[in-house]
Amino acid sequence: MAISLTESLQIGVNDILMRKVRSLITIFGIVLGVMCIMVVLAIIAGMNKSTMAWMQERGGTNKVEIERNWDYDFRGGGYASLTLAELNQVRGQIPEALAVGPVINSWGASLQYKGFSYSGQVLGVLPGHQRMESWYPGKGRFFSDIEVRENSNVIVLGATVAKELFKTEDPLGQSVMLSDQMLTVIGIMQEKIWESPGGGSFGGNALEYMNRQSFVPISTMMNKIEASSLIQSVQILAKSPEDALMLQEKLKLILLHIKKGKAVFRVSSAQETIQQMQQNSKIFSMIFIMIGMISLLVGGIVIMNIMLASIKERTREIGVRLAIGARRTDIFVQFMVQTVLITGLGGVFGIILGYLILDLVSGYLGMPMLAGPQMILVSLLVSVGVGLIFGIAPAVKASNLDPVMALRDE
Amino acid sequence: MEIIKTQSLIKDYLLGKVKVRALAGIELSIINGEFVAIMGPSGSGKSTLMHIIGCLDSPSAGEYYLDGDLVSKLPKSALAGIRNRKIGFVFQSFNLLPHLNVLKNVELPLMYSGLSARKRGEKASQILDSVGLSDRLKHKPNELSGGQRQRVAIARAIVNDPSILLADEPTGNLDSGAGGDILEIFNKLHKAGNTVIMVTHDRAVAERADRIIEIRDGMIHNGDLAN
Ligand SMILES: Nc1ncnc2c1ncn2[C@@H]1O[C@H](COP(=O)(O)OP(=O)(O)OP(=O)(O)O)[C@@H](O)[C@H]1O
Ligand SMILES: [Mg+2]
Repeated sequence: MAISLTESLQIGVNDILMRKVRSLITIFGIVLGVMCIMVVLAIIAGMNKSTMAWMQERGGTNKVEIERNWDYDFRGGGYASLTLAELNQVRGQIPEALAVGPVINSWGASLQYKGFSYSGQVLGVLPGHQRMESWYPGKGRFFSDIEVRENSNVIVLGATVAKELFKTEDPLGQSVMLSDQMLTVIGIMQEKIWESPGGGSFGGNALEYMNRQSFVPISTMMNKIEASSLIQSVQILAKSPEDALMLQEKLKLILLHIKKGKAVFRVSSAQETIQQMQQNSKIFSMIFIMIGMISLLVGGIVIMNIMLASIKERTREIGVRLAIGARRTDIFVQFMVQTVLITGLGGVFGIILGYLILDLVSGYLGMPMLAGPQMILVSLLVSVGVGLIFGIAPAVKASNLDPVMALRDE
Repeated sequence: MEIIKTQSLIKDYLLGKVKVRALAGIELSIINGEFVAIMGPSGSGKSTLMHIIGCLDSPSAGEYYLDGDLVSKLPKSALAGIRNRKIGFVFQSFNLLPHLNVLKNVELPLMYSGLSARKRGEKASQILDSVGLSDRLKHKPNELSGGQRQRVAIARAIVNDPSILLADEPTGNLDSGAGGDILEIFNKLHKAGNTVIMVTHDRAVAERADRIIEIRDGMIHNGDLAN
């Protein structure tokens, strides 16, 4: 019948209180290691969460996009655009897509109203564009399929466009000039706001470019405004994230075929971006968890050495305990418990410090960081584990002392 | 009845390659309730013998019976329990744990024998009362005089009701007054039926015992019951 754990704990706490300064120095490595691991895990959890939120804000995870491949060397010929016929050819080969949304982009078109002008992107799209981006008018309405069929002269403005062009006036029902066309304002899109991670220092709304866009029916764009009727980008909605990935691969082949082997388009999917982000954060977290592990290892070795050294000056105490009836297991448990207590304490300090740092960093970056209870549990288990591993050698050494020699020790 | 019996007890130490014979065939028997003093020149093997009797060490050869049990053949792991239940040790240099107060020091053997914290406190303060230290329970050892410290050590040695009280030069660090108090306690314990074995260099101290055993060069010179 060895002494109980409570007894060992009591002895351990007393020993630690007796050697406050040394115990504090001893746990430094553990504090650092635990803090490191906890902060990294929390940052990653926070980043993953904001990535998902960003994807949701940009129309969800079922989206596939075809756009110009900026890496392609166009001096070798080829155009990063599709004709209506080519678009229909694509559409015909992907019946599994929920919706296909071609976009004609008129860069730097100038909108005019009462002598004021506003330069921004005007996009020719179908009504399905709203669903594609999960983005709808905040005021008025979007144009309808009928208006597309009839090449109607209507326009839906982005929030910033409306503000800058009309100031305090109500834009709805007013007419703006684009090229030589008078277009009636029928709606104003909801304002898109995204405080990006790091927005505090980089200033602002990562989705502001969307507030600077305006929309006209794609037919109006083709037939009345743009001289060319070429489609520069297409958005496709799949049934599920998995479908989106398959659709992405399929579209790459279809487009290569249509463009005779020239990779003028880039096909991307939200799902792929997420996977890349997760891959990146995996590497990032691996690095920092390695750093944490190394501090824990170093901290563990430091603790082991200090415990081993402390046995030297406690030899007589061990001898006395053995003389009055302590078993070797009692001595073993006593030293084991003490090491684990020290590392556990280090873990607790590490968690507290980690919280303080997370608070500071997330306040500074304006980024949510998640330190859940399971992370605290992991940190605690890790620090206790370090104590269990590095406590063995000192505990074995202490419990193997010869009682007579130990009592003889001066 | 013999509480201690040894036959041809030998203890060798290896100093490098040289064998040092600390005990060279000890034949000893001590009867239950005896008060025995062991004397002998320095280096004659008195402490070595006490360590073996107290189950802190095992002989290199020979037999040792404690309470009729052959303990010289027991594994070291079994000796701890015997030390705890049957042996009380008092050292020349007190050997109290400096960071524990008087009461806690005396409670230690009870802790290792698994007594509950409440019973420990009761028993320890009762024993401390019997050695005249009931007003020093919360003192640290370094706040006590040498004589008081040795009384704490005796309290710790007897708190578990051991069969034998072993004292290795218990008065060696004390003046004659404090030493006299210690001997008085031993006497009382002896009168109460305890077996007491005490090593001393002081003939006058040894005279207080029932019997004096003299050791020279690891052998009993005279004083064994057989002589
Ligand atoms: N661990 C050891 N290693 C080697 N030799 C030892 C060891 N312990 C004791 N001895 C030797 O054994 C002999 C007996 O020592 P012991 O301590 O028993 O003597 P003692 O009679 O108690 O002496 P003193 O009166 O000085 O305390 C001595 O010669 C000593 O040098
Ligand atoms: Mg001695």
